[in-house]
Amino acid sequence: MSAPHERRAAVTGIGVVAPNGTSTDTFWKATQQGLSVLDRITREGCEHLPLKVAGEVRDFDPAAAVEERYLVQTDRFTHYAMAAADLALDDARLGQADTSEAPFSIGVVTAAGSGGGEFGQRELQQLWGKGSRFVGPYQSIAWFYAASTGQISIRRGFKGPCSVVAADEAGGLDALAHAARAVERGTDAIVAGSTEAPLAPYSMVCQLGYEELSTVEDPTRAYRPFTDAACGFVPAEGGAMLVVEAAEVARERGVDVRALIAGHAATFTGASRWAESREGLAHAIRGALDEAGCAPEEVDVVFADALGVPAADRAEALAIADALGGHGRRVPVTAPKTGTGRGYCAAPVLDTAAAVLAMEHGLIPPTPNVFDVCHDLDLVTGRARAAELRTALVLSRGLMGSNSALVLRHGAGERA
Amino acid sequence: MSAQITVEELAGLMKKAAGVTVAPQDLEQRADSGFDALGVDSLGLLGIVGELENRHGTLMPPDAERCKTPRQFLALVNTTLMAGA
Repeated sequence: MSAPHERRAAVTGIGVVAPNGTSTDTFWKATQQGLSVLDRITREGCEHLPLKVAGEVRDFDPAAAVEERYLVQTDRFTHYAMAAADLALDDARLGQADTSEAPFSIGVVTAAGSGGGEFGQRELQQLWGKGSRFVGPYQSIAWFYAASTGQISIRRGFKGPCSVVAADEAGGLDALAHAARAVERGTDAIVAGSTEAPLAPYSMVCQLGYEELSTVEDPTRAYRPFTDAACGFVPAEGGAMLVVEAAEVARERGVDVRALIAGHAATFTGASRWAESREGLAHAIRGALDEAGCAPEEVDVVFADALGVPAADRAEALAIADALGGHGRRVPVTAPKTGTGRGYCAAPVLDTAAAVLAMEHGLIPPTPNVFDVCHDLDLVTGRARAAELRTALVLSRGLMGSNSALVLRHGAGERA
Repeated sequence: MSAQITVEELAGLMKKAAGVTVAPQDLEQRADSGFDALGVDSLGLLGIVGELENRHGTLMPPDAERCKTPRQFLALVNTTLMAGA
């Protein structure tokens, strides 16, 4: 029994703008069906680059989602963020009237890996093509990692704690944990998550130096973690925002607690040092389980990082076994991101959204394009698997060496 | 260049530089409203000034980006253009 003053952080809203769906419903449908939407990159100016396959968000019209005056100020990654935040807030039934009554009780936390590269490239081309007087003033804010947090809070009038986590891909999970801590400290709700837009010429050139990047041209073969054919990861754009809210505040509002953010830990083991990530990830898992008061056997499903680099896959499989013991070989593991690509900081946030939905539906989504697993893992492949899911573990690692783990508990029994 | 900036041109610049759509006749009627109330923030106004400077090849005074209303802005900008003629 928790002390009466203890506040617990719940997920009460999910907003998704992903390659496989620009609403939470379409995202979940595609995810549980195991559809792969990886495809040839069609973005203008990218045709000549050796990176050929990615997860593009194609079913998204910024002008239909966001007012023009916010669009001209912002990069595509912030367009996704504003749209996903709106969807999450709608899902949590937090309208403008609700939040404007108490603007200091709601804030924003995002994580960003690459910022607004497309906007920045356009303005830099103005600089070198025409001169400094032709660079628009919004260049000063649009490319910046903090842009999405700032623009969401301005547009929705939120005045509560706002922050940005710049901590590699795993920062997506760290942002959710940061939001949970803000809620535990007294803020009613935080809109938290990550969206990315790394599919533009300048941004893509920046990624070409990553040895972990897959340059395989066949979309069905480009991203196959945990197999002998693993050849790196495929990038993606889009992401998700969640409403992280105090469970008691949600109950008072008569809104369902979808899941509880029960535990988190993060470690650092150095850029591309995948063998070392075994110990770092295992340590993060143990820390997250400790904080959640969760025994290893209680974990019902693991959403894997699934980088798709043999040494990294091996390290992850071993980390799961190290941290969960014998249960690590029995617990179902999944990586739905093989169907959408890996959206840097957004990837673990989409996994968190999928984990909440999986617990609600009692269904573990499969790992598209992956067959013949070569590690000692019960990886869910082919089709979704029905299971009663009370606890989910979400894992993420960054190319620069961050490792994070997040424990989610099912919200049932917390219904309003 | 001695061309004067009209309300129509300002409305066009507001759309291009700040993404704010206001019909010229509405802008005429709301010439004493604050730019903030019209949805143009300080960076938006800075962008409008930059665009005007590039179009007319004339530097605007620093006060241009500090104008609070369209009427003040048009008066200052047109005085500047006139003086530069």
